[in-house]
Amino acid sequence: MNNPHHLNPTSLKSRFTTRFLRALTKIRAQKPISSSSPTEIFRRYRRIKVAADKSMAYSVRSRRIWSKAMLWKLRSRSYRRQDPCSGRRSGKTNQAIMKKSSNENTTTRREDGVGFVEEADELRQLVPGGETMNLCNLLDETAHYIKCLTTQVQVMKKIADFYSF
Amino acid sequence: MADFSAQSYRQPFPFLDIDPTMESLTQFAELNPQSFILDNSAFNFQTFFPLSINDSLFSNQASEGETMSGFIHNSNQSSVSAQPIFSAKTEMEEISNKRKALDISESSSGNSSSTSPQVSETGIKRRNNSGRGKRAKSNEKEMEKPKEVVHVRARRGQATDSHSLAERVRRGKINERLRCLQDIVPGCYKTMGMALMLDEIINYVQSLQNQVEFLSMKLTAASTYYDFNSESDAMERMQREKAEEAKELERLMREGYVGIGGVACFHSSSTYGPL
Repeated sequence: MNNPHHLNPTSLKSRFTTRFLRALTKIRAQKPISSSSPTEIFRRYRRIKVAADKSMAYSVRSRRIWSKAMLWKLRSRSYRRQDPCSGRRSGKTNQAIMKKSSNENTTTRREDGVGFVEEADELRQLVPGGETMNLCNLLDETAHYIKCLTTQVQVMKKIADFYSF
Repeated sequence: MADFSAQSYRQPFPFLDIDPTMESLTQFAELNPQSFILDNSAFNFQTFFPLSINDSLFSNQASEGETMSGFIHNSNQSSVSAQPIFSAKTEMEEISNKRKALDISESSSGNSSSTSPQVSETGIKRRNNSGRGKRAKSNEKEMEKPKEVVHVRARRGQATDSHSLAERVRRGKINERLRCLQDIVPGCYKTMGMALMLDEIINYVQSLQNQVEFLSMKLTAASTYYDFNSESDAMERMQREKAEEAKELERLMREGYVGIGGVACFHSSSTYGPL
């Protein structure tokens, strides 16, 4: 029952699906079933989760602030994992630290007079890269982020159901 | 002066910065006759308006007494004598504001529609009209407490125009986005305030992130039980996934659900779908 004309091949969903499935197969290819210890399982879980986030962020490219921030975070984390003494990494983390501190300053100053400061700050922590946004952009990014998260959840649910049969 | 202050109707401070113009006076004259189409017996406010305005003006001009009584007569005759003391925009706002309150309370909407274009002609920004639309109800309630109304207006009048306009635009944007989010996030009711909606949104985002984590856990568990490295299996799986997604998309669209490509309230929604 293939209805290929119903599925948009360039939609967010399909892009994410292809990327994620590719990453999943790669992960499964790396580790044959030697993993029975909880640490191994946990490592694989982390890898799958990172793959999910990464494939979603890559599907959105840098069009959105949150995807850019997420890609950046993932990249800096991967650099840290690979090469703990790299100068590049330290540069990136320094940038991250400085960015974060400046963002914190701006957020503390951001008493917009609109009155939802605590909720807005909480939302900023949830949405990646949220610290840099004012409330208007934050709401925009939140909406897109929710949409992408729902896509992610849908696709992952289907994949998980498929595997659990 | 003392009589009017005893009525405790209005404080003259908003008018202190007003430059008198004949133009606004004639517009006030235009507005004036229309107000008296309303039922005079119903509200005493009608007679109060021109009097109070004159009250404040007289406080500016320090010419009391005779012209006040002149106005008392004039208010019933629907003709404003040539008192070129009149205002600028805040006064016109107030006049049309009060008129609108009366209109709404008397449910004669014809006057409000006739006053509002004139108000906009005077150059009052439309945001004030919309603000007044919202505040008309509060004006109704506050008919016995005109001081509160005055405070609201004074706040608006005191802010510099560019600032308040920019703020209003920002707030309008934020409200619009919140409304779009309302459609996306389940469990948001229109009656909820902003803070509650933000809480709901936060909960929803957290639940989605938790779902992603849980599903990735499930996938790890599933993958540890399965053993395939073959390409063909992966391709089959992908094809089956696509078919399933197509089916689900169909189903979602049939249900009219605001799904993947349907977030139409954002200006950049076109970038979501095709690319």
